[in-house]
Amino acid sequence: MQITLNNIIPIPLKENLSKRPSDVWHSNITFEPEKIVKIKAPSGTGKTTLIHYIYKLRSDYEGNILWDNKNIQQIKGDELAANRQQNISVIFQDLRLFENLTARENIELNRVLQKPFYESGKIDEMAERLGVSHILNQRAGICSYGEQQRIAIIRALIQPFSLLIMDEPFSHLDNNNSYKAAALISEECSRRNAGMVLTDLDEDDYFNYTIKLNL
Amino acid sequence: MLNDLLNKIIKKSAGRLRYILAMFGLGIALMLILAAIQLQVNYNQLLHGNNVQDSIANFLVVNKIVNDETRGKTQLNDNEIDDLKKQPFIDAVGVVTPSRFKVSANGGTNLPFYTDLFFESVHDNFLDVHSDDWKWDDNSQFIPIVIPNMFLDLYNFGFASSQNLPQLSQDLIKNIPIQLSIQTPLGAKNFYAKIVGFSDRISSILVPQTFMDWANKNFATEAPKGASRIVIRTKDPSNPQLTDYLQTHHLSTDTDKTRFSKYRKVVAFVVRISWFTGVAMLVFALLVFSLFIELTIASSKEEIKLLITLGSSPKQLKRFMMKQLFPLNIVIMFLVLIILSLLQFVLYKFLGTQSMEINPYISWITILSAAIVLFVLWLVHIRTIARQINE
Repeated sequence: MQITLNNIIPIPLKENLSKRPSDVWHSNITFEPEKIVKIKAPSGTGKTTLIHYIYKLRSDYEGNILWDNKNIQQIKGDELAANRQQNISVIFQDLRLFENLTARENIELNRVLQKPFYESGKIDEMAERLGVSHILNQRAGICSYGEQQRIAIIRALIQPFSLLIMDEPFSHLDNNNSYKAAALISEECSRRNAGMVLTDLDEDDYFNYTIKLNL
Repeated sequence: MLNDLLNKIIKKSAGRLRYILAMFGLGIALMLILAAIQLQVNYNQLLHGNNVQDSIANFLVVNKIVNDETRGKTQLNDNEIDDLKKQPFIDAVGVVTPSRFKVSANGGTNLPFYTDLFFESVHDNFLDVHSDDWKWDDNSQFIPIVIPNMFLDLYNFGFASSQNLPQLSQDLIKNIPIQLSIQTPLGAKNFYAKIVGFSDRISSILVPQTFMDWANKNFATEAPKGASRIVIRTKDPSNPQLTDYLQTHHLSTDTDKTRFSKYRKVVAFVVRISWFTGVAMLVFALLVFSLFIELTIASSKEEIKLLITLGSSPKQLKRFMMKQLFPLNIVIMFLVLIILSLLQFVLYKFLGTQSMEINPYISWITILSAAIVLFVLWLVHIRTIARQINE
C-alpha cells in the first residue's frame, strides 16, 4: 500500500495555512511500506485533519489523495473496508474504542473483521508486553486513558496492514510505557515490512524515522 | 465470533415490544393471506371436482317469470336468444318449441283415460333421455313421447296411493299404447304414441323435433309464437354471473341448481375480505419492520460509524443485520404453514363426513404464495438495511 498526497489543502484552514510554510500542504508526498514518516505539527495546524484525510474519514480538501494510484474519492463501501482491513491500520488520537465492549472484545473485533492475521492468543501476549493484561476483561469505558491508548495500539497491531497511521499514539503514556509500545510497534511493522506515519507535537526518538516533515 | 461482537455493539433493545407485536401481526397477516388462497383452492376443487359434475347440473331450463306484466307474453324472441348465446358463461342454447295445435290422448280400450295434452320439443342434444325409439319420420308406427320423471312420482306416491290405484313402473308405462287425437283444420287425426323415456331435466311432455316441425307445419291452428322456454348448457350453473344475468333479464330457472351460486358469492366475499385484511396487515407489518430496522440502525448510528471506520464492510453489516432480523420471518412463515396444514386436515376430515372431498394437504399454490410473500419480506428487509447502512 502506498498513499500519495497531491497538492492537498484543507478547505476550512485554507486562509491560515497558506500564510505559513509547510512540508505537507500543497506538496506531493508519498507514504509507503518500510518508510517511517514523522510529521511534526503544533496544535491547530491540521494534524488530525490530515490523518482523517488519508484514512478517508473526511474529504473537505482540495487536491488529490491516492491509495495505490487510485483516487480515494472513488474508493467506497466494500472496497474501502477491504483496504482498511488489509492495508491500512490506524491509531486515533481520540482512541475510538467501543465503551461497552471489554478491552479484549475491542481488540478481538479488529482481529476477526477479516481473516485473522494472528491467533487470539496474540492479544494476551501483546497485552502482557504493554502491561494491560489485567484490564483485558474490563469494560473499555472504565479504563484509564493510558490503558485505553494501549488497547487502541494493540487493536491496530492485531490486524494485517502495510501502512500504520498513528495520531499522537503515546499522548497518554509515560516515557517508559511509550518506549515499550514503540518497541512493539516497530517489531510488528518490520514483521509485515510495513510503513508508518506518525504525527506528534514535538520531536521524539521512538522510531528511526526515514523522513521528517513539518506540517 | 464477529457476529457475537456485533450483537453486543448494535443494540436491538429499542422497540423490542413493537417488534414482537409486528411479528405477531405478520403471523396473522400471513395466516389470512394464505388461508384465503387455500380456501379458494379448496372451493375450486369442490366446484370443479368430478363428484359435482353430474349431468343435470349443467343443463338449465330457462323461462320468463310469469307475473302480471308478462302474463301471456312469456315467449322468448330471437334477439333475446341471440343475446343469451353471446354470454361467455353459456355454452349452448336449445330452443324449446311449443306445439301450435290441439291434441288429446286416451288409453284406448285397455286403459280408460282421457286428457287434453300439449307437446314441446327440443333438440336431442339437450335431452337427458337416450332411447332407440326416440325418432320419428313419416313411416314411423308411433310417436315417441318423453314425460317428466316427476309426473310418475306424483302419480305413484301421491295420486295412486290416495285413490287406491295400482302403482306403475317405468317399464309398465312404456308398454301402454296411447291414442293421440290431433285437431287439424280438416278434422281430428289419430296417431299411436308410446312413452319411451322419463326426463329429469325438462319438465314437459316432449316429442321429437322432427315430429314437432312436421305437425306444426301441417296442423297448426295458430301463428308461430317463438320459443316458450329454452334449455341452456353451462359449465358452471352456480356462476354468479349467470344468476345475475338471469335476474336482470327477468328469467327464472331451477333455483335448486343455481343455489350454489349464493354460497359461492359468500365464499368469494369471505375470501376477498380475508385477502384484503391480510394484505393490509402485511403492508403494516412491512412498515413496522422497516421502521424497526431504521430505528435499530439509527440508535446504533455512532457504533455503526465506528465499525465502518475500523474497517467493517457494509456487506458484513448487512449480512449481520439480515441474520438478526430475517430468520424470525422464516420461522413465522413455517409456523403459519404448519397451522394451515393442520386446519386443512381438520377441514378435510370434517368435509369428508359431509361427503365432500378436498385435498388433505395444503396446495402447492399456497406454498408458492408463501414463498413469494417470503421473498417480498426478504426484499423489504434487504433494501431497508442497505439503504440505512449506506447512509
